[in-house]
Amino acid sequence: MSKRYIVLAIILLGSAFGLTQLPEKGAKSPVTPEEMIIKVSDQSRYLSTHFIAKRLIERDPSLFIIDVRMADDFDAYNIPGSFNIPLEEIMNSDWEAYIDQDGMDIVFYSTSDVFAEQAWMLSAQKGYKNLYVLQGGLNEWFRTIIKPVAPNETAPTEAFDLYAFERAACIYFGGASAGAATAPVAKKKVTVRKKEKKAAEGGC
Amino acid sequence: MGPLTYFGEISTEWNYVIAVFIGMAFGYIMEASGFSSSRKLIGVFYGYDFAVIRVFITATLVAIIGLLYMGYFGLIDYSVLFVHPTFVYSAIIGGVIMGFGFITGGFCPGTSLCAVAIGKLDGWVFTGALFLGIMVYSWVFPLLEPWYNLGDMGHIKITEWLGVSEGWFVFGFAVVSIAIFYITALIRRKIKHVRY
Repeated sequence: MSKRYIVLAIILLGSAFGLTQLPEKGAKSPVTPEEMIIKVSDQSRYLSTHFIAKRLIERDPSLFIIDVRMADDFDAYNIPGSFNIPLEEIMNSDWEAYIDQDGMDIVFYSTSDVFAEQAWMLSAQKGYKNLYVLQGGLNEWFRTIIKPVAPNETAPTEAFDLYAFERAACIYFGGASAGAATAPVAKKKVTVRKKEKKAAEGGC
Repeated sequence: MGPLTYFGEISTEWNYVIAVFIGMAFGYIMEASGFSSSRKLIGVFYGYDFAVIRVFITATLVAIIGLLYMGYFGLIDYSVLFVHPTFVYSAIIGGVIMGFGFITGGFCPGTSLCAVAIGKLDGWVFTGALFLGIMVYSWVFPLLEPWYNLGDMGHIKITEWLGVSEGWFVFGFAVVSIAIFYITALIRRKIKHVRY
């Protein structure tokens, strides 16, 4: 038997044996650091409160809103139709099926951007698709949808259109007691009193 | 799209260009190994030449060891490699037919094209018959379809089926391969040498 064959056989056996001795690699993130940097710098993940409100009003079935605050905060107030997954549980495999949905737009929100951003980061690293962050979080939600502020008189028409939408959305999401809706309620009370007076007059 | 992560994304167009070069290299190596001679190919079955079995086992071993190392060091995205679905009984039936055709025809499909390239008449006849066979098979396919999907096991790898680690499976395969190399060398020495 030629020496060449023996050497080749030893090389093959050695390299094959080497494969058995390779240390286990930890679960590698499906997203490379380079891809992650591109994803992070892409601002299109931020969705405005107006956009989300509009889709909620239209009952968009492809929207899945996740509240990453604590369960107590969630119970106190949440965006209608949202689902509570506290931030510390976001990596829990129980929730994987909720966050990893190709056909749905997953929107994270918290009190502001910060925790939602962290939830987005953790999920994006796992390679999940269609992940978004509610820009400004609940603070922005309250400022624009629940208690919208009227624009200045000198503001452009677009600002007034937006305000009109905000007021309508405000009524839809049950924030009507505050802001714009208070005046009409007071007027109604006045008319009721007038009717009472009339009834009394007729009785005499 | 290719699995070679080192080059980043390889476009579909370049995939075809690369495929042409790989095909040319494959054909060249087959021809250089003498696989365009049906006498050499048939030698495996008569015991006077084991080049076919040696070349293919060596190719398999080198490819699998290379793939696993490159996958481990991140040069290849091992997860995007396509795993053919396994139809175990269909494969056995097909293997028997293929083996029978191999002995009687003297070529397998790839080597027959090698023989065509160097202008061998038996290669031309074999390849012509091959296309005829493909045509006939396509016509009668509806009748053969039940045989075509026997023993469907899905996209399964042998290591998953056996439940062993890939490293140890390859090591076992290497040991068996080297045993085969040794045994075939012994057989060849005992059998009278055939001149071809």
